[in-house]
Amino acid sequence: MSYELIALLMFASMMLMLMTGQRVFGAIGAVAVIAALSLWGDGGVELAFASAMKLMKWYPLLTLPLFIYMGYMLSESGIADDLYRMFHVWSGGLRGGLAVGTIGLMVVISAMNGLSVAGMAIGASIALPELLRRGYDKIMVTGVIQAGSSLGILVPPSVVLVLYGMIARQPVGQLWLAGVFPGLMMAGLFVLYVLIRCRLQPSLAPILSDEDRALPMREKLRLLRAGVVPLLIFFSMTGLFLMGVTSLVESSAVGALAATLAALLKRRLSAQVLEETLRKTLAISCMFMWIILAALCFGAVFDGLGAVRAIEGFFVGKLGLGPWEILILMQLSFLLMGTFLDDTAMLVIVAPLYVPLVGLLGFDLIWYGILYTITSQIAYMTPPFGYNLFLMRAMAPPEVSLRDIYVSIIPFVGVMLLALGLVMVFPQIALWLPNHVYGK
Amino acid sequence: MPKVVQGYVRWVDAVNRRVGRCAMYLVFVMMAILFYSTISKQFTLPALWTLDMAQFVMVAYYLLGGGYSMQLGGHVRMDLLYGGWSDRRKAWFDAFTVLLLIFYLGVLLYGGVSSSVYALETGERSFSAWRPYMAPIKVIATFGIFMMLLQAVAEFFRDIARLRGEELA
Repeated sequence: MSYELIALLMFASMMLMLMTGQRVFGAIGAVAVIAALSLWGDGGVELAFASAMKLMKWYPLLTLPLFIYMGYMLSESGIADDLYRMFHVWSGGLRGGLAVGTIGLMVVISAMNGLSVAGMAIGASIALPELLRRGYDKIMVTGVIQAGSSLGILVPPSVVLVLYGMIARQPVGQLWLAGVFPGLMMAGLFVLYVLIRCRLQPSLAPILSDEDRALPMREKLRLLRAGVVPLLIFFSMTGLFLMGVTSLVESSAVGALAATLAALLKRRLSAQVLEETLRKTLAISCMFMWIILAALCFGAVFDGLGAVRAIEGFFVGKLGLGPWEILILMQLSFLLMGTFLDDTAMLVIVAPLYVPLVGLLGFDLIWYGILYTITSQIAYMTPPFGYNLFLMRAMAPPEVSLRDIYVSIIPFVGVMLLALGLVMVFPQIALWLPNHVYGK
Repeated sequence: MPKVVQGYVRWVDAVNRRVGRCAMYLVFVMMAILFYSTISKQFTLPALWTLDMAQFVMVAYYLLGGGYSMQLGGHVRMDLLYGGWSDRRKAWFDAFTVLLLIFYLGVLLYGGVSSSVYALETGERSFSAWRPYMAPIKVIATFGIFMMLLQAVAEFFRDIARLRGEELA
């Protein structure tokens, strides 16, 4: 059997195993070790455990449990309540203003945390009930929260960019800076979409009653203070890291500590909150880590098969395509696989295959990291498999049905594809800031 | 189900719960180590041991916590088809596919044992500047994988029980 055929067979079996609904890490790991044993016999038996040791050496992964902890702590700490009130009062006068305010809230939260978990938890528990109570359309609101929280992995700090940085051997600092403008641009496009949509269909978003908005100016200005704590957290984490004071993993620990302190100062740090936060952090961290563990093993088998060379040969040799055509084809295949396969596993298995090829074609790997992250964002939201969908189902109030969740993302995926296209055509959107700061 | 099986499932659940609940607090240990390294390097030379130690704690965290998070239902499944099935059909599929999961964990355990034995016999050290011994973390990791394996077997018994119309506590 040729190696290409084995690789394809492995992919197909993984797909099949995932379809049976077994735990994702088990499905991937089982296919990996069975392939390793049948290819190399006794020589393949150590491969599974070796990936556990390899995972340990990927020290930037330390940021993952710490960011997850921080996300839950932020959503419990009550910082978000004040922030929500601030956006609520300041943008409530616009038609669709509360949805716009929610996007603003999501951007601020994204700047404090590197995953979409925090935005999701805060959006579903604070913004969603408020917006529904005020008669906003539930499908639009659900979409806003899912799309908005996905900014968590594009706006620095970002765990996906950390993982990408490890795989592509690119500096995380530059990758994070490269995410700033694409993230803000995407948020801007979401806002634009919401405003236009609400202008065309005013029934989706009733304007707030006057009593809701009638606050003296002094009161309004006082609410702006809610923005101070997030700013401090952002500075203590991303700021200190970019200034070179703290290393990457240290900055995530500082952030986690800052979130705990914020909760303490707000007198929200009860034993029960702590218990909930720690338990959820353990469950989510273990889920991600075991998936990465299994996917590393799967990737190692692929590596042994020489899959990188095979893919290169396929795109460049057999299809005879130019660099741009290959890039677009790769993004499309990513999008397609991202909808069906587990998104973290995809990153660990497929990125090592594609990244060398991207470099070979002469593209900038920092820029590709951003394209990659936007693609992951879309993958996070698209059914049947996506973490945001998974979290939304767990957190949404009962009146939001599964169908609502699926339908709600359609327009936002469109907006994200537009953003992806823009960053592809104008690489400067991503590259200007890191080049400016690091003076390339 | 036989008394032995019931006892086994109850025992594994209890042990993993306890192990996992201890592992849960390791987040604080990671935070403390990294925070110490942030502060200390402002005043003195950066400590050599912090990064290695934080890595060890991370590995212990997710390997020891694996079994408990399985109890909590934390390990995500692709529920495109699975989500719509009846409980009985879910149990049917799980009873078969969990065997593959057990096989994977078995291979992991085999590798863990042989790697730990090697580390113990040769006094293997890490390649970092601090050069810590590798044996302790490898033994902890292997223990974590072993507990995960026991939990997966318990899940298998649970599925079988469900197919026979019983529910194991």
